[in-house]
Amino acid sequence: SKMADEVEQQTTTNTVEEPLDLIRLSLDERIYVKMRNDRELRGRLNAYDQHLNMILGDVEETVTTVEIDEETYEEIYKSTKRNIPMLFVRGDGVVLVAPPLRVG
Amino acid sequence: MSLRKQTPSDFLKQIIGRPVVVKLNSGVDYRGVLACLDGYMNIAVEQTEEYVNGQLKNKYGDAFLRGNNGMSRKCQFPSSD
Repeated sequence: SKMADEVEQQTTTNTVEEPLDLIRLSLDERIYVKMRNDRELRGRLNAYDQHLNMILGDVEETVTTVEIDEETYEEIYKSTKRNIPMLFVRGDGVVLVAPPLRVG
Repeated sequence: MSLRKQTPSDFLKQIIGRPVVVKLNSGVDYRGVLACLDGYMNIAVEQTEEYVNGQLKNKYGDAFLRGNNGMSRKCQFPSSD
């Protein structure tokens, strides 16, 4: 009967895991977060909830802007970085969460 | 009416494991294999590649896409366009 209550809300956990369960596996790991407004975060996932609100530690934030040269129509990408020891991220700005990009 | 209740979960079971294209409102494309999704349209995609015009970044392993981003999700079914 407990199982029946759970099945109502979500599919059985032995066949398919929820995306949020997989985020749980990233707790205490460094993750990469893509936000709206061309922002990216790289930091250690300390906590999260179902809204994807997160507490990130030891964070590097990258803000990317694009300027278009009026004469050459070149796209000029600029990025600004800053480091934040502890950060609360509001979930509604989150687009994507992934393990940090690895080279090679 | 009971058929409707079954169809969403059946649909989920159908498309999991299939290659998908996820297009966000921002115009960015994500292509990969659908690992799982939930009732809020949060999805986990494996072997994800991010496309903005040309190929930008490769994300290996799982990528989680938040369901609220006005995304349209296309499945690459063999029979349809």
